[in-house]
Amino acid sequence: MCSVGDMTDIEVDRLIPEEYRCNECGNTFKGIGKYVMCPSCQSEDVILD
Amino acid sequence: MENLTGECDTDMHQEPLGAGDILYLCTNEGTVAMVKVGARQQCPIVSENEEIILFLDPEDLIVASGFGTGTVMMNALKCIIYMIRDAGSPLIVLPKHHLASQKLKYVVSAGAMTRLSCDITPGTHPNQNVLCAKGDLAGIEISGCDGGVNFKNLHVGEFIRMPFTVG
Repeated sequence: MCSVGDMTDIEVDRLIPEEYRCNECGNTFKGIGKYVMCPSCQSEDVILD
Repeated sequence: MENLTGECDTDMHQEPLGAGDILYLCTNEGTVAMVKVGARQQCPIVSENEEIILFLDPEDLIVASGFGTGTVMMNALKCIIYMIRDAGSPLIVLPKHHLASQKLKYVVSAGAMTRLSCDITPGTHPNQNVLCAKGDLAGIEISGCDGGVNFKNLHVGEFIRMPFTVG
């Protein structure tokens, strides 16, 4: 991922995130990376949505 | 501190880097700064339409490339890295052709590997692990390893390592 600090002009369309759902709080989110956790409640109990 | 000169060497060069330090690679044209992420953490990338969470590993790097040299640029790179790694600043994505893109003095990359290139417009490149840099830094690949940083195609520059403190 490359960007420009606080304000960026990256091509977000070219990022290919997975969509996840948190089993603890039900939050859904898009993420990239190996160690995924819910950005809302920090639970690691997340599944691919 | 170490000087590197001579022909382009495709062999890997390794520099130690702890989570509490910042490493600069300085040339006559540009400056690149890098730190370890240090712990598992999340970095939100927020555009007009969506939010993507980038999940970073401790040995991943946050790399900032500045289009200039000197103390002011080194401090600027340190500050932008601090905002992202330590202050939890999100990465706010500007719409394409935003006027601010032409004013940018530095760009940032986060992840396992970063490749420096001078053939792209700052912030507009198609490969998300490519970071724009001034000419003599082009072609260098930077990747995190256990306790250090690996450099590929490194042929120029001076390393400066110092504690990563702000204030």
